[in-house]
Amino acid sequence: MSVQDFLVELGTEELPPKALKSLSEAFLAGVEKGLKEAGLAYRKAVPYAAPRRLAIVVTALATQQPDRVQTLDGPPIQAAFDEVGNPTPAALGFARKCGVELAAIDRSGPKLRYSRTTAGQAAAQLLPDIVNNALAELPIPRRMRWGARKEEFVRPAQWLVMLLGDEVVDCEILAQKAGRTSRGHRFHHPDEVRISAPSTYAEDLRSAYVVADFSERRAQIVKRVEQLASAQKGKAIMPAALLDEVTALVEWPVPLVCSFEERFLSVPQEALISTMQDNQKYFCLLDEKGRLLPRFITVANLESRDPAQIVAGNEKVVRPRLTDAEFFFKQDQKQPLESFNKRLSSVIFQAQLGTLYEKAERVSKLAAYIARQIGSQPEYATRAGILSKCDLATEMVGEFPEMQGVAGYYYALHEGEPEEVAKAINEQYMPRGAGAELPSTLTGCALAIADKLDTLVGIFGIGMLPTGSKDPYALRRAALGVLRILIEKQLDLDLGQAVNQTVTQYGAKVKGGMALTTQVLEFILDRLRARYEDEGVEVASYLAVRAVQPVSVLDLDQRIQAVQVFRRLPEATALAAANKRVSNLLDTYQGTLPTTIEPRYFDNATEFSLFSAIQQADQAVAPLARERRYREALARLAHLRDPVDAFFDAVLINAEDPAVRANRYALLARLRGLFLGVADISLLG
Amino acid sequence: MSQTTPAVRTFQDLILALQHYWAEQGCVVLQPYDMEMGAGTFHTATFLRAIGPEIWNAAYVQPSRRPADGRYGENPNRLQHYYQFQVVLKPNPDNIQALYLGSLKAIGIDPLVHDIRFVEDNWESPTLGAWGLGWEIWLNGMEVTQFTYFQQVGGIECYPVTGEITYGLERLAMYLQGVDSVYDLVYSDGPFGKVTYGDVFHQNEVEQSAYNFEHANVEKLFGLFDFYESEANRLLALDLPLPTYEMVVKASHTFNLLDARRAISVTERQRYILRVRTLARSVAQSYLYARARLGFPMATPELRDEVLAKLETAE
Repeated sequence: MSVQDFLVELGTEELPPKALKSLSEAFLAGVEKGLKEAGLAYRKAVPYAAPRRLAIVVTALATQQPDRVQTLDGPPIQAAFDEVGNPTPAALGFARKCGVELAAIDRSGPKLRYSRTTAGQAAAQLLPDIVNNALAELPIPRRMRWGARKEEFVRPAQWLVMLLGDEVVDCEILAQKAGRTSRGHRFHHPDEVRISAPSTYAEDLRSAYVVADFSERRAQIVKRVEQLASAQKGKAIMPAALLDEVTALVEWPVPLVCSFEERFLSVPQEALISTMQDNQKYFCLLDEKGRLLPRFITVANLESRDPAQIVAGNEKVVRPRLTDAEFFFKQDQKQPLESFNKRLSSVIFQAQLGTLYEKAERVSKLAAYIARQIGSQPEYATRAGILSKCDLATEMVGEFPEMQGVAGYYYALHEGEPEEVAKAINEQYMPRGAGAELPSTLTGCALAIADKLDTLVGIFGIGMLPTGSKDPYALRRAALGVLRILIEKQLDLDLGQAVNQTVTQYGAKVKGGMALTTQVLEFILDRLRARYEDEGVEVASYLAVRAVQPVSVLDLDQRIQAVQVFRRLPEATALAAANKRVSNLLDTYQGTLPTTIEPRYFDNATEFSLFSAIQQADQAVAPLARERRYREALARLAHLRDPVDAFFDAVLINAEDPAVRANRYALLARLRGLFLGVADISLLG
Repeated sequence: MSQTTPAVRTFQDLILALQHYWAEQGCVVLQPYDMEMGAGTFHTATFLRAIGPEIWNAAYVQPSRRPADGRYGENPNRLQHYYQFQVVLKPNPDNIQALYLGSLKAIGIDPLVHDIRFVEDNWESPTLGAWGLGWEIWLNGMEVTQFTYFQQVGGIECYPVTGEITYGLERLAMYLQGVDSVYDLVYSDGPFGKVTYGDVFHQNEVEQSAYNFEHANVEKLFGLFDFYESEANRLLALDLPLPTYEMVVKASHTFNLLDARRAISVTERQRYILRVRTLARSVAQSYLYARARLGFPMATPELRDEVLAKLETAE
């Protein structure tokens, strides 16, 4: 089979930097899909993406599509011919559909069948449509037209290179006629670039000052930025999304170090970083203690004849922005943080749930309640709660929304609030994303939980439950946040009580009462179940623990960890089965069980041994369970396997004598009670 | 750090250089529209000329008024009255980006020294019922120009597409002259001596800010808004799109003044924007049909026939 390399490069005006990577990935996926559907084999396909181009190089592409046999099944033979053997309308219709006389149709099988062979086409003939379809299916939120044309794309198309081997694939796409001339860097190489063959694409462009490979360019930027940062005795902050965006803004990356005045360092560094990253796409530098350095790195798109002018220009741009941040910071500090609550009295949290100030009041009370439960100081929680939303009304957060919490922290510290209170104001929003940092203070934990429960209960209480992918109030994330804090910070909180407290303090604003409490609790625990599933914990373990209804999520988690270990013990299966049997038996028992077990009703040695084993286990396990050493408790209970098995082998539970029978049921109930102190092991079967 | 070539030393040199450059490219060099408006886009040479199939290439300075942006002459970057230099090319030529870059060279910016970038920035004007896609152009990290391919204006699809280039003249000049305050810009420097931007405009910024924020007559302005709206509707019925459009521009500026006076609440604001948009849409339709009745005299025969045929089918 003959193969050739294939290159397609669509030249455009500057593509949107935040979308470049996904456009490139989708283009690659679309072309590969097209090649597969056409049955064109190839070795590999490599994407290229730069501000003014999307390209793909396919190596060892089959130049000819194999012949294809298409088999069509028609009606069954019985339905195709009548009693005298004349074709029915169904048979004739099938022949018509196949475009042949009935005689050409195969009638040897149970159904009419027609096979036709389509001769394979040359790849060069198929490629234009494959490329065209891939472009048509790119995920572009808004396409545009340009000039007096009707074609639509992300930005105007400017040129098209399509080579199969060293031949141009003759076609026109997006009003561009395919050729072999590409374009280099706008300014370093304004002339056209001749691409000799697909295999030389990347090198031909490199000689024209374009690094076409997105990941190569990204790696270049990382390496150079790190070098420059370390020369400044700093470390660059390079969030992945920012790095992708910067990579998508340059064809020939040249990072340069710039400076800003040290006086701006008195402004919270989060605000400075945020404006430099978001508005200017700069990389900021931190010293070894995590403090901002008065430097930033911009990635220019050329090797300037006078880089000092680029540096000076960027420094000039950043000054008014930092001045703004400084101005907001000073302005906000002219009034006490708490006084911003006045403005919050007219800012709506949610139309039916009242203002942000009302939310702060509720969160404050709830945080104090939670603080008492988790052994922290309620007066700190109360204070942090009442200040919690104030920064939302400040100039700083108005300008930099991502400063919420952070600004409040700085302002509270500045006013001499206890550090615990200041930190909590920032930590209320934690965790800020999947796997993100958790509060470091107990007050922060209490506030974070209170804020999230208040939102959960409020939104559920007005019936705006999350559906499918729609979760505008991020309730799933809030629920997961509560769970992570409780489990990872090892906090014992009766979650049902806390939710109930939240419902109560909303008063008439929410509907549902106890049902609402249950609904919210179930929603949170469902998140927990999903989380365990993600972690590979068996659902049965979760259900076994849920069945005993631990009030605290932390307790629940500790039991689940213990059950997971227990399941690996050799005794586990037999004990699960025994528990199941016991549970079924107990369900059938009519009447009241005796509260004490009378050895005088025993008539078998195994009864004596089981009773004594249970007594010993009880003594050993009770303190373990109290101390929540569930793993050890279950390990100890595993010893019961032999006496239990022996008991069931030797004893008839339903004895004739009602007193003996009742005594045996009581013994079993005692056994089951021992296990239920940890989990319902019967569900593990 | 002055990058100025001898030709472009002053603010007025910049305007002259841009006018000269775009005149050489074949643009009609117009004068500002003689009414208060928020941006060069409101000039009929952009808003109305972007509608319909006719060829149109123009360049002009437009004084732009944004009453709420006034700072009593105390902020070095914020003005309630400033200048935009506007270029519209329809249909946009394939090399419109290159033409724009040529204009930067013409004002003395060497692209092998400075870092020039086209950074995605899309434009939408709810008041004008208009949107387009394009970029802001960065010069060493500073936004100096807005570049937009109009897709819709007054609710009408733009076909062919107008490419709009809007230079922020003060910003660009501050950069070229290396000054940090707009008032320090050298406006002109000749035999009569040096005149700064501050000499020309500072008092105006102080007094107009006082008017916009403190003394504009709110009650009368509300009445005027209603009057302009009803006049627009009356003129529309008379098939007079150009006078109608002036009423829309007046209504829009009146709204901006009321906004600066904080006389319009958040919910009312949406309603006022909607009222202006409704007018903008009607006048756009009316203008399109007025040009169609004239037979789109400035269009190529193919485009004219295509669009006329489409309009006929629509009716």
